[in-house]
Amino acid sequence: MTDSSPQSPKQILNRLAAPQSKRLRASGWLSVLSALIWPVQAAVVGLVLGHLVAPGVSPALSPLAGALCFVALALVRIALDWAAQKLGADAAEAIVIHARSRLVAQAARQATGAAALSPAHSAALVAEKLAALTPWATRYQPSFMRARIVPLAFLVIAATQSWVVALILLIAGPLIPIFMALIGMAAQQASEKQMIEIGALNSLLIDRIAAMSDLRLLGAEGRAREVLKDKTEDLRRRTMAVLRVAFLSSTVLELFSALGVAMVAMYVGFSLIGWMHFGTWGAPMTPATGIFLLMIAPEFFQPLRDLAAAWHDRAAALAVGSELDTAETEIEAARKILGDGGAGQPLAGGILRWQGLRLRPARDAAPIALPDGAVAPGEAVAITGPSGVGKTTLLSALAGLLESESGTIEWGTDVLDAQSADAWRAGLGWLPQVPRFADTSLRGLITLGREGDLDGALSAAAAQDIIAGLPGGLETRLGDMGGGVSGGEARRLLIARAHYARRPLLLADEPTADLDPDTAAKVIAGLVALREAGITLIVASHDPALVAAMDRAIALEGVA
Amino acid sequence: MSVLLGLAWRLIVQQKWAFSRGLILSFIVLAMGAALLGLSGWLVTAAGAAGITGIALNIFEPSAGVRGLALGRAAGRYGERLLTHDATLRALADLRLSLMDGVARRPHEEQARLRGAEALNRMTSDVDALDGLLLRLIVPFLAGGMAQLAALLMLWWLESLPVGLSVFAIYLIGGGGGLIWVARAARHQARAAETALQAIRTRTLELLRGRADLAVSGQLQSEINRALEEVTAEARARRTLEALDRRIGAVIGLTTALAAGAALAIAGQMAASGQITPARAAIGFFVALALAESVMLLRRGMAEIGRMQEAGARVVELARTPERPIAPTQAHPVADAPLLRVRDLSFTRPGASGPVFAELNFELHRGETLFLTGPSGAGKSTALAVLAGLLPTSEGTCSVLGETLAHWPETDLRRHLTMVPQRSQLIGGSVAENLALAVPAGELLSQKAAEAALRAVSLDRVLAARGGFEARLNEGGSGLSGGQSKRLALARAALRNPDILLLDEPTEGLDAATARATLEGLRALLPEAGFVIVSHRSPDRDFADREIALTRRCPAQHRAKNTSRRKNT
Repeated sequence: MTDSSPQSPKQILNRLAAPQSKRLRASGWLSVLSALIWPVQAAVVGLVLGHLVAPGVSPALSPLAGALCFVALALVRIALDWAAQKLGADAAEAIVIHARSRLVAQAARQATGAAALSPAHSAALVAEKLAALTPWATRYQPSFMRARIVPLAFLVIAATQSWVVALILLIAGPLIPIFMALIGMAAQQASEKQMIEIGALNSLLIDRIAAMSDLRLLGAEGRAREVLKDKTEDLRRRTMAVLRVAFLSSTVLELFSALGVAMVAMYVGFSLIGWMHFGTWGAPMTPATGIFLLMIAPEFFQPLRDLAAAWHDRAAALAVGSELDTAETEIEAARKILGDGGAGQPLAGGILRWQGLRLRPARDAAPIALPDGAVAPGEAVAITGPSGVGKTTLLSALAGLLESESGTIEWGTDVLDAQSADAWRAGLGWLPQVPRFADTSLRGLITLGREGDLDGALSAAAAQDIIAGLPGGLETRLGDMGGGVSGGEARRLLIARAHYARRPLLLADEPTADLDPDTAAKVIAGLVALREAGITLIVASHDPALVAAMDRAIALEGVA
Repeated sequence: MSVLLGLAWRLIVQQKWAFSRGLILSFIVLAMGAALLGLSGWLVTAAGAAGITGIALNIFEPSAGVRGLALGRAAGRYGERLLTHDATLRALADLRLSLMDGVARRPHEEQARLRGAEALNRMTSDVDALDGLLLRLIVPFLAGGMAQLAALLMLWWLESLPVGLSVFAIYLIGGGGGLIWVARAARHQARAAETALQAIRTRTLELLRGRADLAVSGQLQSEINRALEEVTAEARARRTLEALDRRIGAVIGLTTALAAGAALAIAGQMAASGQITPARAAIGFFVALALAESVMLLRRGMAEIGRMQEAGARVVELARTPERPIAPTQAHPVADAPLLRVRDLSFTRPGASGPVFAELNFELHRGETLFLTGPSGAGKSTALAVLAGLLPTSEGTCSVLGETLAHWPETDLRRHLTMVPQRSQLIGGSVAENLALAVPAGELLSQKAAEAALRAVSLDRVLAARGGFEARLNEGGSGLSGGQSKRLALARAALRNPDILLLDEPTEGLDAATARATLEGLRALLPEAGFVIVSHRSPDRDFADREIALTRRCPAQHRAKNTSRRKNT
């Protein structure tokens, strides 16, 4: 998917971060500035120790004054780091909020049946995955900036005192990324050879926990445990085989920085003792300079270590960035519902007619043409036809939940379009095949927070027995999967909602599918009661009992 | 914090050897780092002094020492990382096993809840959160403490007690005290941030799933706004965590600077007054500087401590699930008793006002198929779970082979009775691995029996095309269609060769012909077994010998009418 995208993952990240690029740059520069205070601290220590060894050679600085200077400079460093991190965190927050808000708002307006990603997938992307952008902004970005600037600056500073020290650092420094890259490739190969998938251990566990009831019924709990143990042990051995190669890369970093420091120490030592007389631009090396150079050396390598430590943050953010980009592109391409989905003033109503409709039932499906139709107020009409013929698709289009490829839908004198959609839907009730409830009370579900006759609605839908059977009655919270009520009961509750709302038109999608005859009869009775209350019904179904209970049927079969 | 310490102790005790060798090497690496910088500082300063005074200095041995320490430290670091990761992987493997054991001991209905996507997600993210417990918290803390103690002794010996003590005290207060302070503050904040993140996910999920319904009821815009509010709320919670992280960084920076500054001031004064040489004074400063590594390593662990505490508390709670009550007596099956005898059986959920089902009465004999009917929500699945011994009986009696259900020890019961739940689960791996779960521990899967079982559910040919027993299934057994998974679960249960087989919607997702063939295949394979089938499909009803209706709740109104109608078969 990402191949067809014109932007590389890196460009995508940069685009996401663009509105915050100023803050991110400022954060990076502050962290660079903080790192550059170290040479000053090193000079202070150099002067203190230099004065103790060879009074008079360099400017004098007492240990106490030097220590105070050292701590004071450290405080400045801490303050700069603090500011850098604060800026980075603020930028990260803004980037993440922006990305999340955009994705939520766009994904929520996709037409039904047109979702580019499953809701669970989208929700995971919005929540956990996008959180990976934070460490990228707060840790990787400033460490990248430091790695580009600080070693170079230290090299120049070291070179002003001794070109030999600069040379040692110059050789050791750039060798690190080369070796790390080589080892990184070897590690990649090793992990491919060992076939280690990230999260494999978790899948092993999840699989068994999800199957726990089955395992118990099969008396296989002990056996499954042994298998899990063996597999985990096997995976551990293979993981260690990969790590043995992968850890070489950080060892190279350690090795070169340790050797760099050791060589600087030895060179400085030999120079000070008087056995070496080169590399200091002619002047003899003073003890203060020696200490200074020794302290610079390890910090020369520090930005590289920081960058290596933050490399994982970069990789994670790149992966999330391209996933986000793919999701956004696909959501952009998916069709949207008409209008905003907000509340509206109901339209005048009248005869509902549709003409020349061509609809796309799913994202990549070819459009299907549907026969024209009209439904008068108060009528009860069944839309019939075999599954897949477009019954659900037609209902979605009539509710403005799906844009049609061509054709018009009118209700009285009003035409359904993006402007009228919210008001259009204010006159509709909706009974989906699989009701999904938000985490709300039964009362909230039925009343939608509006005033009305709740008892009347429940008795008209003959739904009191459902309420009576639930421990919390009307205050029972249903949760996402409708916990506590069966599919048939959920539909009867939604019929009670239609009675309560008294909107002039109800669209119902296969309201009796998968129900036993008793429950189906109750659902049909509830629908008939709605019709008797003067509400127009359009019901998609191939259940003969339900179709017979309607005034007439519109058959969708036979039209291609 | 006590949760984490308890958990860490548990993990360490199980992997003593792996843990202690990792810890010792971590300490050695820290010590070598301090020695390297201290020796380098001494070397440079001493050389400076020798250069000025002209006093001879053996520089070769110390410089060889510097080289050796540099190489040794890099090698040690490599070994340390390997060993600590190895110890962590082993500890996490133990943790996963105890999680599994804990879930296995939970009551049936809770297990059903735990296998929801949300709960599974949380469980794995909890285990993942704990991978830093040994690696980034316990090992660095102990190794750092050991390095500090070693440094205290070295500095005492080389310089003076005040230098050693002040460095030690500053690190103790800054590192140790800082850690405790962070641990206290972080848990609450990490919990808030995690709850906020969950809220984003839940709200988004509800929004996206219900978007059609919300749009029609005119609530889509307001629900989008509610989701966006969760996004801002999470950012607020996150901000306090970030601020805490900054404070950790500042405390560590200040600790290091104060320790090095104190060493410089005290040892420097001693050198200035001639008590020690300047070179020895340098050692104190450089060692104090190098010890910064011991707290730096803790930094990431400290940033994660809140999340670890939350995750640890949940994991420990699951892992500590008490053993299932053991059946008080041994089972004494009666030879000629009916397979199942159920008298006035009912089940009431704790706290509910009425029973889920009540007054169930029937007998099941060898070779018989019983069909349990009832409207949706009448408690058919619950009834099967009670018959299978997964749920306790509330009233009435149920005996299996003449012995009361509750008197059967778990393993004995499973030898005679099994059930295929409506949402039966397969596991990732080969078909053979899935079937092998049905075989008693210590026995091998018989190729012949397995083939017969697959043939009985007409799955042999379907699977043969995909590699037969070696056909791979993905996580959760995905890769097969719904109907194929169901049939594989049926075959797996049939391999147990049970006396009683309880089937919940066994033909869901199968076309009529396959459904019929599958049930007949099972019957032919297990001619002596008694079947109890719950299904809403009429072909299954035709297959049964007898039918029993289960009515929902309110037994006062609808007495469970046990219209046992024996058909002519």
